[in-house]
Amino acid sequence: MSCKIRYILLFTIPALSLYTLFVIYPFGYSLFLSFFKWSGAGPKLFVGLDNFKSILFGRMSQEFINALLHNFYFFARNALCELGVAFLIAIVLASRIWGQRFFRTIVYLPNVISMVLVGFIWVMMLNPQWGLINQVLKAVGLKHLAQPWLGQPKTALTTVILVNVWRNIGFYILVFLAAIIGIPNDIFDAAYIDGAKNWRVIWKIIFPMTFSTFQTLLILIFIWSFNIFDVVYSLAGVQAGPVRSTDVLGTVFYRTAFGGLGSSGQDYGLGAAIVVLIFLMVIPLSMIYALMMDRRKRVE
Amino acid sequence: MMLRINLFSKILFLILLSLYFVVVATPFLLMFFNGFKTTRELFLKPFEMPDSFAPENHIRAWERAGLGTAFLNSIVVSGAGIFGVLFTSSMLAYVLSRYRFRFRRFIYVYIILGLALPARLAIIPIFLLLNSLKLTDTRLGLVLVYIATGASFATFLLKNFMDGIPLEIEESARMDGASPWTVYRRIALPLIKPALVVVGLVNFVNIWNDFFFPFIIITSKAKETVPLAVSLFYGEYSNQWPMIAAALTISVVPIMVVFFLFSKQFISGITQGAIK
Repeated sequence: MSCKIRYILLFTIPALSLYTLFVIYPFGYSLFLSFFKWSGAGPKLFVGLDNFKSILFGRMSQEFINALLHNFYFFARNALCELGVAFLIAIVLASRIWGQRFFRTIVYLPNVISMVLVGFIWVMMLNPQWGLINQVLKAVGLKHLAQPWLGQPKTALTTVILVNVWRNIGFYILVFLAAIIGIPNDIFDAAYIDGAKNWRVIWKIIFPMTFSTFQTLLILIFIWSFNIFDVVYSLAGVQAGPVRSTDVLGTVFYRTAFGGLGSSGQDYGLGAAIVVLIFLMVIPLSMIYALMMDRRKRVE
Repeated sequence: MMLRINLFSKILFLILLSLYFVVVATPFLLMFFNGFKTTRELFLKPFEMPDSFAPENHIRAWERAGLGTAFLNSIVVSGAGIFGVLFTSSMLAYVLSRYRFRFRRFIYVYIILGLALPARLAIIPIFLLLNSLKLTDTRLGLVLVYIATGASFATFLLKNFMDGIPLEIEESARMDGASPWTVYRRIALPLIKPALVVVGLVNFVNIWNDFFFPFIIITSKAKETVPLAVSLFYGEYSNQWPMIAAALTISVVPIMVVFFLFSKQFISGITQGAIK
């Protein structure tokens, strides 16, 4: 018996200790830090809820709420574009067509490229003078639509979101595709024998049977929408310009914790407080997701 | 299951997918061609073929961005990270799958909680922790972070894969007096090899592409990984677009090759990890 316990400890401790140290403990310590004022050196000064007050109601509130709304906008746009379009493309890919394997591979290609590099590639595509997007618009007679996409507040955020969609949508397509392919054959056969048309098959069989996939992906998109940093950094910089029009909580947090000109406060405690507020929104969903993944495997 | 469609829809779908292909491929092609141009060419004929395919920009970009060192660092960090994740998580997954003990379920839920936790938001404490261990600005620090953040997905996938493998072989080995370590090393690991490949690839892409952790943890030029080196180069040489395009080409092509070689395993890894 003691031998068994010894082996269990031996096998579990390496992964569990690193995970606890670098994933779980930092969450707890962020909570602790959020009650202090601390520049990173010297003594920590306990300030109670002051950090939260200045973020929610005080000098940082404008910056914080601006970014928070952008995160929600990010989530709504992503959910709509990624889930809607991905579902449709997955249906196309689930049909009997030539070159299926090729298209399945291509769809995921942008996803294996680092987000920052994708951002830089798109800065070139969107260059106002020689970038492809504006040149194409001019070539097809839509000259009036050509504009500095990343250089003006009214289009910058949407452009950033679309670049994000361009890179990530392959993931959602493949997950939907796997869900569709996983639907038992006989359900389709029965429908076809009854003379059902394809749009009916899609609406009455595929959509309801992939509904749980929609739910799970929606949770993931929500969580990931609050984790955004790289795409904004590479397309707009840490100042999230022009005039903070692409600012998200990730960049606010970065400026607050690690500095950068123009940050309205630089302090580890203040940064930690921003993170705690993000956690409050995200962690309940992370837990639901973990429990869903746990239950799903046990039901099977 | 495949939808049955008529010829008309077949052609329509093919046209749609071809358009999609164009949307995916164009930015990469443009990057590739721009890398061979001069700044003058770029402005005068942005979409035509470059006049020559001499890799002058690439050579300069390689030197100035320190891409040789960066590739070496990325290879070392990804290699050590993947090995660490596979080693520690497969042991944990093995115990969770094969042993019955108290807190087993708790440990499993505790570890898969990290599946959807935005770990990098907790960067301040991670940074302070590495600092107190004298591991900031080291590759080892990065590797430890990657092993920890990779543990959830790896354990989840490996445990579930192992659950589907019958116990008999392991039991007979145990009956013959093999120690748990031997059973794990000689029998369980070879059996879950397909899952190890999938987990390895998914972690490879995650670690290789990660920008955020090196951005915060690494400060010296000699330890930069590829995404960090390219983004600092991008900041330093802004507006020298042909050279930036060349640097991007160099850093993007290797991972594309790996992806095309292993696309089947990649795709199975992604879909299994997320959902059913």
